[in-house]
Amino acid sequence: MIWPLRKSPTWNEINYWALDLETSGLEPSDQILSVGMVPIRGGVIEFGAHYYSLVRPVRPQALSVEGIQAHHILPSELEAAPPLAQVLDEITQRIGRDVLVLHYGSIDLGFLRQGYKALGRRWVRPVVVDTAVLLARLGERQRQLEPHSKPYPSGLRAARARLGLPPHLEHHALWDALATAELFLALRHRLQARTLHQLI
Amino acid sequence: MNPLDFIRAHAPFNLLPAEALEQVERGLEIAFFPENSKVLARHGSKSQHLYMIRKGTARLERDGQTMMYLEEGEVFGYPSLISQDTPAFDVIAEEDLLIYRWSERVFRELMSHRPFAEFFTKGLAARLRLVTRQEGLEVTPIDLSLPVSDLVTRPPVFIARDATVQEAAKAMREHQISSILVEGNPLGILTDRDLRNRVLAEGKGPQTPLADVMSSPAKTLPASTPLFEALTFMVHQGIHHLPLEQDGRIVGVVTDTVFMRQQARSPLHLLRRLERTRNPEDLKGYSQELSGIAESLLAGGLGASEIGRSVSSLNDHLVRTLLRLAEERLGPPPTPYAWIVFGSEGRMEQALLTDQDNALVYAEETPEAQRYFAGLAGYVVGGLIQAGFPPCPGGYMATRWCKPIAEWQRLFQHWVKMPTPQELLEAQIFFDFRSVYGELSLEPLERIVASSGEESIFLAHLAKASLHFRPPIGFFRQIREEDGGVDIKKGGIAPIVSLARVHALEAGSLAKSTVERLKIAAQENKLSPEGAETLIEAFGFLMKIRLRQQLTNLRQELPPDNKIRLEQLSSLERRHLKEAFLQIREMQEAMGQRFHTDRLG
Repeated sequence: MIWPLRKSPTWNEINYWALDLETSGLEPSDQILSVGMVPIRGGVIEFGAHYYSLVRPVRPQALSVEGIQAHHILPSELEAAPPLAQVLDEITQRIGRDVLVLHYGSIDLGFLRQGYKALGRRWVRPVVVDTAVLLARLGERQRQLEPHSKPYPSGLRAARARLGLPPHLEHHALWDALATAELFLALRHRLQARTLHQLI
Repeated sequence: MNPLDFIRAHAPFNLLPAEALEQVERGLEIAFFPENSKVLARHGSKSQHLYMIRKGTARLERDGQTMMYLEEGEVFGYPSLISQDTPAFDVIAEEDLLIYRWSERVFRELMSHRPFAEFFTKGLAARLRLVTRQEGLEVTPIDLSLPVSDLVTRPPVFIARDATVQEAAKAMREHQISSILVEGNPLGILTDRDLRNRVLAEGKGPQTPLADVMSSPAKTLPASTPLFEALTFMVHQGIHHLPLEQDGRIVGVVTDTVFMRQQARSPLHLLRRLERTRNPEDLKGYSQELSGIAESLLAGGLGASEIGRSVSSLNDHLVRTLLRLAEERLGPPPTPYAWIVFGSEGRMEQALLTDQDNALVYAEETPEAQRYFAGLAGYVVGGLIQAGFPPCPGGYMATRWCKPIAEWQRLFQHWVKMPTPQELLEAQIFFDFRSVYGELSLEPLERIVASSGEESIFLAHLAKASLHFRPPIGFFRQIREEDGGVDIKKGGIAPIVSLARVHALEAGSLAKSTVERLKIAAQENKLSPEGAETLIEAFGFLMKIRLRQQLTNLRQELPPDNKIRLEQLSSLERRHLKEAFLQIREMQEAMGQRFHTDRLG
């Protein structure tokens, strides 16, 4: 771990980046089309420092109609976008030693790792807080108190609604990343997590 | 909705120019405050941010007492930011709060945009003006509240008093004008029409002395007169050219064609129509035309009180027209009389068609007079119904309220000397009476009204009656809707009207309009100047949103009512409605204490 010699820091001493990727699909053969990142510093989302970019696909001919219907990114918009190598640089530079906040992180992490490897770069898995995992934890805790209570929904939109957060524009990397960041703040409070350790 | 769309939809960010939105986005921070946590602490450290609620409700507290609730889209934290003082309230999350916020630095940058800055720095009064200005309806064709001299395009042209009509005609051709002013005292004027009607048609020659055919003294108005008043004056006087005077000299002439060109639906047209009316049947469609005029006056940027005055003077004209027709039919009255109007008509605050509130006062009681005035009242009330005025449900119409002046005196004496709460509740609108037509002097009644302020029991009862309607503000300072809306007549307009009435009567004033009454009350120290100003602004604001709502109803062929649906107001208007209600409530409480209304049965 990064903090081997001292006890885990308080949650809001850490800087986080909520991140979301839009991809052409969920298969390993699919490609990253856009990325959105929103930093959380001192427990507050600094929206002004967000990063959002489209990604020029390596194989534009492989984009599916279903994908376009879901994320509304048109192939023509992608032509002028920076290539993945450049976007990954931007991502790496921002994350540094910060913690990633993802919703169902294994998917996004899989695409990131694949992207790094395809470009022949070394992949260092960052510390990740997964809001889907936090939701499951919250659900579990609730079931211990009330065995027959309704489980927490795991989808981003439904989970936010359950926690009283407003609807957001879905299937857009930036707004999904922001939605994840807000969900993270709400969940952190519900779980009464004080240290980073309690969140990962 | 993405954050920027949300922010941009709410005040004061909707007052920012598009190019400032980038600053807003760059400076945006988003914070989460769980239920019951403190966002700001009273006497704690000063606010570091401007806050806007994205989701949830916040509670303002003072010594553990809830003062107010803030909802989605509302901003807070700025008084402390501006004054650099510690917050005046605890701000507590009533439920989980998702908050947008901007640092002090960004806030200061945004304050360089004036409309945005004004939202924070002006008092309630000025903020209400801001709402009405920013969210006025359509584009302004012509602002009728501007001074009439704004329409003057050239200096006046004079001619010597001993000139001939030919010389005058030459000068008019040379300057391309339709009228010329004649030097000397009193001032004279000669117009195109005079050359046609008084010279050519009369077979007079070019050498006719000008002085024989001109109009003198010419009717003039001060150059600072508001456009719409000048307009009414011209129609009233039947003149087409109006010389304007400033510091004892004539600065220009306006013509009615200028008005007609500026305004398709001018009160002028309706007045012309009334002048041509020969039969109550001709009055069908009057109400539609009236609302069309109100609409164009509103679009012309007039405030609700100017529109009310305009509409009321048109309706006065209507009543006079009907009375003249009635007298033609029934013959001259056996004894002098006065046709009086009261309520909103008396105060000249009519918006659109309101119920009829009228009565008849005549000098001497005889069987003949009874018969004559019953016929007269029946004719006029019937004509008003033809024109589209619904009969008054409470029955305050001249058909029922038709009495000799001695009886009216007894009635007013009774209300003033031996008031009962229920009677005053109904009778208070009589204290707004105004004579519209007739020879009879109402001085005896006016004397009673003017001295009613000396009767403390009367004032206390009147004060109590004025507390009958309360602003629909809940225990936690939220606006309460009933049957899907807020009745702003009962909740706002009526309370202000009756507050103003009590204070004006207390000051011994005969003023009738609410605004005038409030001003006089402040002059006479019956009301603080700030209190009066706040009520005046709140009154104008409430009247305006009601008028707008009623015009919308009419366009959708719904009956005009006093219900405002909150979701149809912008968030800025909602906030001001709330503040207006809160102010009214405060003033009502002050009045209750002042007159000890709680000690009355």
